[in-house]
This record gives sequence, C-alpha cells and structure tokens, in this order.
Amino acid sequence: MDIITVRNLKKCYGSGERQVRALDGVELTVSKGEFVSVMGASGSGKTTLLNMMGGLDMPDEGEVYVDGVNLSGLRESELAVFRRRKVGFVFQEYNLVPTLTVEENILFPLDLDGSAPEQGFLEEVVSLLGLEERMQSYPHTLSGGQKQRVAIARALAAKPPVILADEPTGSLDSRSGQNVAGLLKMAAEHYHRTLVMVTHNRELAQLADRVVYMENGKIGK
Amino acid sequence: MLENNNLKICRKLVRREFQFHKARSILLMGAIALVSMLCTFSFSLGFVIRDGLMYGHRIQYGSLSHILYYGLNDSQASALARHGDVKNTVSLRAVGVLSDDVMEYRSVKLAAVSPDWAEATEAVPVHGRMPQADDEIALDELTMQSLAIPPKEGEEVVLRWTPVDGGAERTDTFRLCGWWDSGMGATETCAWITQATARRLCPDAPDSVTLGVTLYRPGDLEAQAKELLYSLGIDGVTYTTNLAYNNARLRRIGTQSMPYYMINIVVAVCGILMVYSIVRISAGRNVRFYGRIKSLGMSPRQIARFMSQQAAYLCLPAVPVGWLLGFGLCIWVSPHVLLGMERHNPALLYFSPLPFVFSGLLTWLVTWAACVMSVRPVSELCPAEAMRFGNDSRMRCKNRQAGRRGRRRRTEISLMALSGFRREKGRTVLSACSLLLALVLLCILWTQYVSADEEKYVKAFSYSDYLIADASAATGLQRYNPWSCSITPEFMEALRRREEVTDVGTIRTMEVPMSADEEERAQAVAFYEGREQDGTVRKETMSGLPDWGTGYEKFRETGEYIGIAVGVDGLALSKALEDSGYAGGAFDAERFDTGKYVVAAGASSTSGISTLPVGSRVEIGGRSFEIMASVSHQSRLVTGSDSREAEFSLSYYMPAWVYEQLFPDSGIRNVTVNIDHNSQKEFEEFLCELTRDSGIQVTMRSDFQKNFRNALLHNYMIPLFVGGVLLLIGMLNYGNALVSSMLVRGKELAVYESLGMTRSQIRRMLVWEGILYGGVQIFIIVPVTSGLTWLWGRWWIAHSASAWCATWRYSLLPMWVALPVLAAAAYVIPQCCFRILMKESVMERLCAV
Ligand SMILES: Nc1ncnc2c1ncn2[C@@H]1O[C@H](COP(=O)(O)OP(=O)(O)OP(=O)(O)O)[C@@H](O)[C@H]1O
Ligand SMILES: [Mg+2]
Repeated sequence: MDIITVRNLKKCYGSGERQVRALDGVELTVSKGEFVSVMGASGSGKTTLLNMMGGLDMPDEGEVYVDGVNLSGLRESELAVFRRRKVGFVFQEYNLVPTLTVEENILFPLDLDGSAPEQGFLEEVVSLLGLEERMQSYPHTLSGGQKQRVAIARALAAKPPVILADEPTGSLDSRSGQNVAGLLKMAAEHYHRTLVMVTHNRELAQLADRVVYMENGKIGK
Repeated sequence: MLENNNLKICRKLVRREFQFHKARSILLMGAIALVSMLCTFSFSLGFVIRDGLMYGHRIQYGSLSHILYYGLNDSQASALARHGDVKNTVSLRAVGVLSDDVMEYRSVKLAAVSPDWAEATEAVPVHGRMPQADDEIALDELTMQSLAIPPKEGEEVVLRWTPVDGGAERTDTFRLCGWWDSGMGATETCAWITQATARRLCPDAPDSVTLGVTLYRPGDLEAQAKELLYSLGIDGVTYTTNLAYNNARLRRIGTQSMPYYMINIVVAVCGILMVYSIVRISAGRNVRFYGRIKSLGMSPRQIARFMSQQAAYLCLPAVPVGWLLGFGLCIWVSPHVLLGMERHNPALLYFSPLPFVFSGLLTWLVTWAACVMSVRPVSELCPAEAMRFGNDSRMRCKNRQAGRRGRRRRTEISLMALSGFRREKGRTVLSACSLLLALVLLCILWTQYVSADEEKYVKAFSYSDYLIADASAATGLQRYNPWSCSITPEFMEALRRREEVTDVGTIRTMEVPMSADEEERAQAVAFYEGREQDGTVRKETMSGLPDWGTGYEKFRETGEYIGIAVGVDGLALSKALEDSGYAGGAFDAERFDTGKYVVAAGASSTSGISTLPVGSRVEIGGRSFEIMASVSHQSRLVTGSDSREAEFSLSYYMPAWVYEQLFPDSGIRNVTVNIDHNSQKEFEEFLCELTRDSGIQVTMRSDFQKNFRNALLHNYMIPLFVGGVLLLIGMLNYGNALVSSMLVRGKELAVYESLGMTRSQIRRMLVWEGILYGGVQIFIIVPVTSGLTWLWGRWWIAHSASAWCATWRYSLLPMWVALPVLAAAAYVIPQCCFRILMKESVMERLCAV
C-alpha cells in the first residue's frame, strides 16, 4: 500500500533569466514501511522534494498525497497538525529552536500537540544517540554533529508514520553516521515506519530497500 | 484532523525569548512605557477636561442635582423621592427672599438649614459654621460684599427680605455665624437660619418645597422630568433641568475634549512606528524563527497566541511605568489647562480609572500590531521559505567585491562606505522625511510661540495695570452699592504713597433721576429710531433687554430717565475720553476743571450718538452743568452692574472733586493704577496685604499675564506635544535605521574580515557610513526647515487672526537642539555597533544561524 504518492511535481524558483527549475515533473511512490534513499548531485532538487512531501513548501504543479490526503487541499491549521503528527523531519540545517534546551527541542512537536511522550522509547532514542549528558544544554553550545543528533531525536520522538531525513548524517563521522542510519532503519522496521532519507553516502544508501537518483529536478534511473 | 492546540507552550517560548534577548526587550519596554505614558497623559487630560467643563456648567446651574422641582407640597415631594428612577433627593423650604435693591441680579433665599441641600449646592460655611442659636445666620461672600457686611463672626447683619407667604417686605437683624465662597451660588443661593427662627419669622409659610432630584441615569433630563411628574400624576409644577446634562452641552463638551483624545491616534500611529522600528532590527531572525516553529507543526492559532502573549509580556512591566509618568504629567499640566482651580488639582479631583484602562489596552494593541507587522511575511510564506528569509542573495555578490577591495587603502574604504550608504537609501529617505516633518512642525510652532507678545495681550485686555473694584462691584452679578465704601480714603492714601505707582485714577458713580425736554431728547431719539448699516432699527436690536425698552419708552415720551453721574480723574478720565467713533464738541481740560461742565457719554455710531446735544444744560444733584462734549460710552470703564432701572441711562463725566461735593458720602467704585513694572512683585504683595478680607476685588496685571501664559500653553501645548512626539519618533527612526543597517550585516562584515580586511578598516568604514548618513540628512534638514518656517511665519504674522497679539520673532531652537544630537548619533552609533559586532569571533558570526 502506498503511503506517499508524488505526481508530476514541478517547482521553479526565481523568474526570468535567473529562473531555476528545482523540480521538473517528479513521479514517486513510497509504500508503507518502505525505506527509500534519495541520492543525487548537489542542487538536483532533493531538499525541495522532501520539503514538498513534508508540507513545508507548495508545488507550482502536481500533487503530493500522504496517507491518502492531498496536501495542497489542507488549510493552514490542518497542515500544522499534519506536520506535527504525520511526519518527522530531520533538516539539513538542523533547525533547532535556539531558545529551547535539547530536551525541550526534542519534545517540541509533542508539546505543540499537548500529548505526552512514551517514556521508554524516548530514553532509548536519547541514549542510542548519546545525548543523555546534553539534555539541558541550549543548541548554540552544541557541535554540528550533536545538533544533528538532536534533530533526529526530535523527528523520532512523536513516533510519526513518516520520517523524512535530509542528509541526517552529513555532519557526523562515518562511524556515528553508520549508527544513526542504523537507528533510523531500526526505528522504521521496528515500528513499521516509512523512511525517506537523502544522502550522499553510497554505503548508507545501500541500507535502504530502494535507492532513487535525482538529476536536474527529475527522478533518474 | 482533530486540532489539539496546546497553548501553554507559547508562554514558555515567550519567556525564553525574553531571556535570550534581554537588551532588545528592555529597549522595547522603554519604548512601550513611552507610548503608555503618552496615552495615559492624553486620556487623563481629556477626562479631566471633560469633568472640569461639566463642573463649570453645574456651577452655572447652581446645583449638583439633575432636576429641580419648584412649589411641591409635602406629599408630592415624598412621592417623587420614593420613585424608582430617583437615586436621591434634597429639599429646601424657603421662608423668604432677600429683597434689598442691590440683590436684584441674584436670588438669595432665606431658609431653614437643610444640610443635604447645602451639600448639593455647595453652600456650606467654610469659615465659621451653620446657625445654631436663634438669631444666627450664615451667608455667602457675594451677598456679604454687596451688603457691605465685614467677614467677622458675630457681625450684625441687617436684612431686608420678603416672606413667601405673601406678607409685606420686612427688615430683621441677625448675627453672622459663618460664610462661604459663592462659587456655585453666583446667581442663586441660600441664607441659612435655624428651623426655630424660620418658624418664628414666617409661621404661616405655605406647604411649598423645592426638591432637587438626582437620577440613576442622567440622560435626556427634560423628558425624564416630565415623565416623573406624569407617572405620579402631579400637575402644575415647574421644574428646571441641570444644564450640565443638556445634550447640546454634552456634545459641546465632547468636542472640546476631543483634541485630547485625538492625540492618541497620533500617539498610536507613532508608537506602532517606534516599536516596529525596534522590532524590525531583528525582523529577519524573527521570521526565520517563526518559519522554524511553523515547520515543526505550530498552528496559526498557537502562533497568534504566541504573538499576543509576547506583546502582553512586554507591556506588563512597561505599562504601569507609563501610567505613573503619564498621570504625573497630567497632574502637572492640568491646572494650566483648567483655569480657576487653584485649590484642588483637577487631575486628582477628577481621578478616574478609565484612562488607565484605555491607555493599557491601546498600548497593548500598539505593541501587538508592531510585533505582527514585523513578522508579516510569515503568514505569506511557506515554512521552507520563511526559514531562509533574510539570507538574501545580494550579500553573496558583495562577497567577491569585498575580496578585491579589502586590501586597498583609505579612499576605497570611504567608497565602500558610500556603497553601503547607497544600499540604505530607502531608510535614509524615510528617516529624513519623518525628521523633516517633525522639525518643520516644531519650528513653526516654536516661532509662533515665541512670537506671542505679552505686552500686546495685556494692553488689549486692560487699559491700566491694575483695576481695583469696590466689594459690591466685584462681579457683574452684583448691583453696585455706592454706600458700600470698601475703598476707603486710607486705602487711597496708602496706594498713592507707594513709590512705584505712576498713575492713579478713580471712578465714582451715582444714579440720579433726570429729565430732558423735547428738543434736548430729539438727538437721542433720532439715534435709536435710526437704522444700522444692515437696515435694522437700532432700538429693535435692544429688544433682548426688556428693562431697557421700558426705560427708553419712558424717556421718549416723558423725557424722564436715569442719568449716571460719574466722577473721574487721572487714568480713568483719559480712558473715558478715548476716541471711539463719533464725538461731538471738543474736550477742554481747563474748562472741564472749572466744574461747570460735564462730558455726556452714550451709545454711538459713526453718524450719531444717544446723548443730549452739546451745549444743553443738565441738572445733577441740584447743580447745573453745561454739556461740553459728547463721547462714546466705554463699557469697560467700570465693574459691577447698575440697577435694572438704569439699563437705559446716560452718563455724565465730571471732575472727581465736583462729584465729591455733590455726593460726599458715596464711595469709590473703581480705582485704576499704573506702576513701574520693575516693582510689580512688591506692589502686588502690598496690594494683597492691603485688600485682605475687605472684599475689594483687584484685577492684577499678573492675572492677565497668567491668563496670557495659560492661553499660550492651552493653544500650543498639544501641537508642541505632538511635534515633540513626532521628533522623538523621528530621532528613534534615525538611530534605528543606522543601528539595524549595521547590525544585520554581522555576517557580511565577518566575510570581509575573513578575507583580510583589518578591524580598524571595518570600523572606519562603518563610521564613514554613519557620517554620510547623518551628513546628508542634516544637509537636507537645515535649509528646508529654516526656509519653510520663515515662509509660514511671515504669512502667519501677516494674515492669521490668531496673530493679533504677536510680534515676529524668528527662532529655530528645536532644530538647533536636534542637530547636535543627530550629528553625535551619526558618529557614536557606528562605533557602538562595531563594538557589539566585534564581540563575537569571525567564525561565530559566519556560522550564525
Ligand atoms: N528559495 C530558493 N530560491 C531560489 N532558488 C532555490 C531556492 N531553493 C532552492 N533553490 C534552487 O533549487 C535547486 C534545488 O535545490 P535543493 O536545495 O533542492 O538542492 P539539493 O539537491 O538539496 O542540494 P544539496 O545536496 O546541496 O542540498 C538549486 O539549484 C537551488 O539553487
Ligand atoms: Mg539539500
């Protein structure tokens, strides 16, 4: 069964001579529980695609269905609820809230929803990511890799059915990178989550059930 | 999908936001406190003015009650008192009315003490007490002055009064036990005696009560007064309603206090701009912040809540500070706006919590609006775009230039500054415009303000420095009593002995019945039967004064009329002869002093006068005089009123010594004094001491000066205040634009630095930018402001009616005060920004999120 369906997705930035076709007719389906890796050159449109699937950006043309819902048909407030419950997003640039501690950052999507975290699961995630010591720190005191791990923990904490990870291991050494990717894969398998991961690392990409390549805003072969 | 919005998280975010950006928050709170102060001030002042005007109208009405019913019987009065719409009542049972001639312009009732009534009409003794013994009486000061009763407890009071039971006028003797300032009782008040005395004096008093009614809802009093009578089935009762609640008056009060409320619009707009310009410094960061929390699933409702709580959090400490400051300002200013309230501060007397509520709300709204405005892009952008907001592209292309230019020398630094300055063109223009607007407004107002001429003003209102009036002629509501004699020969002696006194004049008047034969009165009759320029018959214009009509008809038919013998000398004489339109005959001082001649005064136009012709003979006090000249009557020559009978009268000026021979026992009505202005203060102290407790009324030169200053304040305070606020906002904008243009470039400067530009070069570049920024604006401001001010000022002096008491003085003080501040800011702010920017390392700034 398909949980994500992307149809003829197009997105342009800028206008006139400086126009950039970030997405140029992308077609993609992801089934429930599947682990998909997205690879491609820098600037090929991977982040843009992920943003569309997470409801963070609006396409110029085409549709995105997640769990049977057409995202372009949702109102602002419905989109907000979709973002906090349906997807866990690991941003390329972390996007931690600077005024909240690590713990508060991890729990933020749950707090927004007013729901309580599953304690056991949370502790497990935190310890696997090696964040126990830094729970009360503020983001500006963390290293790039630590920030990335907080972003991953945040994406997992609410146990969303879909996890979208944009280079989740970009700032980590290869060993930690392996661990984190493993954790994501395990979480996906264990809890039957769908995982879409952008990566430049061939080895990590091989962990996935399927690898798709992007080129100039299109899905290649 | 079910929305589940946890709003508590917002509070946490707000608190953290505050902790993380303390300096900015405190700056914001300062600005908000300022807005709150201005709002509180203008709202409070508006309220105080409204209440003050209301009070003025109530004084005119003479009672605090809403409706007064006259001639009720006991059962009607108690029925009214029990009515459901009636909050409370006060009642008065008068036994008579004072009927002395000099009381004819006022109605003073002799009545048994009614404490409630006394309270409602403010007729409670301030000195002494209410009567307790049989022959005691309490009076108001105007009555005492008219009847020449010295303000001393136990003083004998002889009253002529007419009982209400229809009996004949009688005279009784009382002892004074207390008195009060007439304030509210100018036209109507009471003379209090005990219940027992009242019963003794008028045992058959009819069952007649005057009832003052206070309603729960004082709207449309006329209708309510009628409705009350109708619902109780009472007939044939007269009533009056309190003018203070009259709809037209309420509306007028509304329009009079409106400007003070209107300031709030200016304050609100300026406040939003001010707060906005502070918030805008970090707008980019804020938008990215909102994009971030939005991408994590914050709903629009939560974001709205977050913003409104943020506004509330900033307002919470700032608003009370503003309340205190604003109210303090109001306490300071209100006595100058509401005149004649020396005893109580109007701001404290009319204290109301509403202005505080209003200003609190308005301030919150202003803050909220400014916060919302600064992050407006959030609602239009997708989170993905919002998160990238402000990392603009133009910076990227600058990097390359910086790389090439960084290592060059000084001139290039200034070139770079120029390009930085050019980039901020928009902001510079905006800041220059708001500064210009404020400075032009302020300088124009200031020039008008300093051009106002006190001498011209005082001269226009009074022909002498001091006008001293007999106690019985202190107000127009009193009929002058020539036997009151409160201005004594000793008083005059003391006055004349003062060294600083340069000129003294006295005026004495006496009403005498006179007559004129047919030939003699022809000139006056022709004058009144003639037509004015607009075609109306002159006597018809006097139809509003029935007593005048009666007097005139009698004069026309029989030749009998009231003549007023006026003994004048010195300053007063020159004023009396002052040319104003028509004059007949010629005044000759030498012949006048022989005592055989008088000068006739009457109403006049350019073509005629209402006096007897020059050369006629008149008999006054048994002596015959020839009319030497006729002049126009000067209404401002004397104070107080003549009798109603003398409404139609003709005046005859004669030398003071002649008058004294004719009426040796009559007093002095007015004294005019001019002094050497250098000793004004000493002289006024002397006058105060001399007239204490005598009832003598002195209109001082300093009263006019005070009036002048108050009028000036009244006219210019609000506009100057608004101008000041605008200037403040303009200056803040000016500083802000500079600060924000520099602070947002932390990253850019870090790039320059990482590419090899030294710190001192960066500093120089920033300072150059600041100097350019300030210099260009000053360059525009100085000529435009001085030019416009000069043009407008010349026009105003030449053409505006409000310039009648002005002498052209050109002053650009507000600009000269503002310029050094602007110049200093242009130099200092870049240095401070440089310091702040350099606190963080290059890497920190490069990596800043
Ligand atoms: N807001 C924007 N404005 C203009 N162009 C944009 C914007 N966002 C993305 N682009 C352009 O769209 C194209 C796709 O960008 P995208 O971020 O999706 O690339 P990416 O595949 O994620 O690259 P990377 O591997 O470097 O992260 C790029 O050419 C980029 O320059
Ligand atoms: Mg990317």
